[in-house]
Amino acid sequence: MQLRKRTNTTTQETVYEGTHPSGLRICLMPKAGYRQNYAIFGTRYGSVDSEFIVPGETEITKVPDGIAHYLEHKMFDMPDGSNIFDRFAQYGANANAFTSFNMTAYLFSATSNLYENLSTLLEYVQTPHFTPESVEKEQGIIGQEIRMYDDNAGWKVFFNLLGCLYQNNPVKLEIAGTIDSIAQITSDYLYKCYNTFYNLSNMMLIVIGDIDIEKTVQTIDAGIRSNKPFDEEIKRIYPQEPEAIANAYSEQKLSVAQPLFMIGFKDRDVGYGGKPLLIKTIEMNILSTMLFGKGSELYKKLYDEGLINATFSAEFNPQIDYGFTAIEGESKNPKEVYEIITSYLESYTPERDAFERIKKVIWGDYIRSHNDIEEYAHTYLTTAFLDGDYFDYRSAYEQVSFESVVKRYQEHFKKEFSALSVILPTEA
Amino acid sequence: MIQTMQINPNVSLSYIPMEWLKTTTLGIYIHRPLKEADASMNALLPYVLKRGCGLCKNTTEMAKYLENLYGASLSVGVVKKGDDQILAFDAESISDCFAPNQEPLTAQLCELLLSILTTPVTENGAFCNEFFTQEQNNAIDRAQSVINDKRTYAGLRCLEEMCKGEAAAISKLGTVEGLRQITPQSLYAYYQKLLGESVIDVFICGQTDIEKIRKMLATTLPTVSENALIPSEGIFRKNASVQTVTDRMDVTQGKLSLGLRTNIAPTDERMWGLIVGNSIFGAGAHSKLFNNVREKLSLCYYASSQLEKFKGLMFVNAGIEFENFQKAYDEILVQLDAVKKGDISDFELESSINALLNTYESAYDDQRMLQGFYLGERLAGTDYEIADYIEHIRKVTKEDVVRAMQAVELDTVYFLTGKEEQ
Repeated sequence: MQLRKRTNTTTQETVYEGTHPSGLRICLMPKAGYRQNYAIFGTRYGSVDSEFIVPGETEITKVPDGIAHYLEHKMFDMPDGSNIFDRFAQYGANANAFTSFNMTAYLFSATSNLYENLSTLLEYVQTPHFTPESVEKEQGIIGQEIRMYDDNAGWKVFFNLLGCLYQNNPVKLEIAGTIDSIAQITSDYLYKCYNTFYNLSNMMLIVIGDIDIEKTVQTIDAGIRSNKPFDEEIKRIYPQEPEAIANAYSEQKLSVAQPLFMIGFKDRDVGYGGKPLLIKTIEMNILSTMLFGKGSELYKKLYDEGLINATFSAEFNPQIDYGFTAIEGESKNPKEVYEIITSYLESYTPERDAFERIKKVIWGDYIRSHNDIEEYAHTYLTTAFLDGDYFDYRSAYEQVSFESVVKRYQEHFKKEFSALSVILPTEA
Repeated sequence: MIQTMQINPNVSLSYIPMEWLKTTTLGIYIHRPLKEADASMNALLPYVLKRGCGLCKNTTEMAKYLENLYGASLSVGVVKKGDDQILAFDAESISDCFAPNQEPLTAQLCELLLSILTTPVTENGAFCNEFFTQEQNNAIDRAQSVINDKRTYAGLRCLEEMCKGEAAAISKLGTVEGLRQITPQSLYAYYQKLLGESVIDVFICGQTDIEKIRKMLATTLPTVSENALIPSEGIFRKNASVQTVTDRMDVTQGKLSLGLRTNIAPTDERMWGLIVGNSIFGAGAHSKLFNNVREKLSLCYYASSQLEKFKGLMFVNAGIEFENFQKAYDEILVQLDAVKKGDISDFELESSINALLNTYESAYDDQRMLQGFYLGERLAGTDYEIADYIEHIRKVTKEDVVRAMQAVELDTVYFLTGKEEQ
């Protein structure tokens, strides 16, 4: 396996990257001085991928919602009845996994036994073992996970917002599914999804830490099972999403002290990844801070009027097929916050001074993002699954101009593509 | 690796060099004893101070100052450890060596922190009324918002019921009534005495010219008016029978929280066995709680235990169906009993030790975790290094675990349940 070495003199970072004959993309990041090692083995497969055509087949496969997350839980069972957490535990590793809208990933961090842990990670993610009994057992656990989220106001305000912004896009559905949808999950469905999305040509492995490159490569070579890479793409079928939002307002009552709100702006400039998406992300991050950051006029106005507190924040969520800005906080009067923000956006003119200042902030964030090895590897992996290259961040950053940010502002922040989601306190 | 110097009898500066990270963090911690009378003042003060100072007279100016330092962060808060209520000021910047134009970022950030501490915005011998009123309202919101996250809330309620009458039961966020009674004058009067009569710990972690920072602190902080001590009442033993408390709220999942007393102080040599015992019992995917309450009986998504070492407490938390209360409770106690009896496999012992070694060693990669570690050591009066933990924990035997865990006693059973449940 040939790895290409790249070095960045500004950040003093190095990566070794290549593709294994099995189709698996591999990225190694040496970090001298760090005690922890971290590895993440991810598949480009998340909660939105419930309808697809397997390469070589012609029929559409449709599976119950929540299956990507269910599959993640079931990957920890081994054929001999053991639980893979036990093996990691013996090596002192902290192992975990997560499922998001567009990705499922398995990971560990440890301060010793890197090669043993890495072999274990490679082994179990390549060993599906599902039986009707083991699948049924998980319904109780995941059922409690779903219920835990039902009481979580921060989670609910977010999904209710997505339900407002999207008419059909499955991003509006809960990642774990519903009690009803997970009841339909069978071991056959799990195998079908596994054999499709866990083909190594749909996956990527990142290893980061104070690692020995040669030994890491040897461990990976020895741990990869024979695999026939797909020679065509997995066709993912997403329903057609109109530009228009579904609803402008959502309200739910939960036992919280004061109302929580989330305001969303639906991005309609979607359908691409790679460097253009990285550039858009930087532009949107600059814009969000210019508009809603603690130094902005809007923040001062809302704070001074007692309409928001320090929990107020704004973030852009970039994906290939969808994107949105989410502005969240706590307020006694969310509707007024929404009115003030949307009317402010109609009269706002971006200023070059603020742009230059915030561009510095974004640069600092970029430098800072290499600190935490887990965060760095996640960002790198997420960007790669969006067909981008985080190591090439600087050239994307340099292409962002005041003019491009102004243009982005004019296109993105339109009231008709916005929605307000509110969680109100239940009466005591 | 830590270098500590005394600025004056109450103020210490600790430098932890960590050049493999790209940032430098500054933490200033002001220690106050947890007392009903002061808790609300301490909960509010950092937020009022952060609103403006000699260097940046309002939030907008401060935000712009930080933005010009490449998005340096500055946050304030209040932390509770044992009987100590800590006013915390935390700042972080990319290290000077990464500043594109060689700006002295750490010193500029330190200058801002010191300005916040020593030159607040005042009017007529009190805090600026506008800032005060806004932050008072926000502090009241924070105190009320503890119910939002039911998992945390259940743990807090359990602690509150368990330690009723002790300082440790007092909320770090103060109370709504306490916060309402504070005025710009009373808070300012409290503030004026604060810096001269409190133990203050300053931590810098990263890469900087520490001598320059030391001089800044020495010339800016006021002289000591009273020699202070870190607040601690030690651990408290209670012999009463187990108490049960149930709260009802509009929730779909029940939260069970058990409060236990370990009766072991941080300086007790049984502490090492207790740390490992807690890990075997409920701290991680290798633990008895995870493998039995969750994996074997499928009763919950989470069930775990944690130690509060300053006061000798242990808490078990689980999210369950309302009707599974008894099943979950029984199983948790069965597992606790198993640890006490030494029903511990080699695998459980080894995994727990390895998990702990991993956690302690990982602190070397995280500046805030490292600062938190050293701060905890100062409070506990133990002053161990991470290497001491690693050395001791590596040597813990099953017998050590049993000896420590036998001292653990159930004190309080707390259950947050639905409104309709009987």
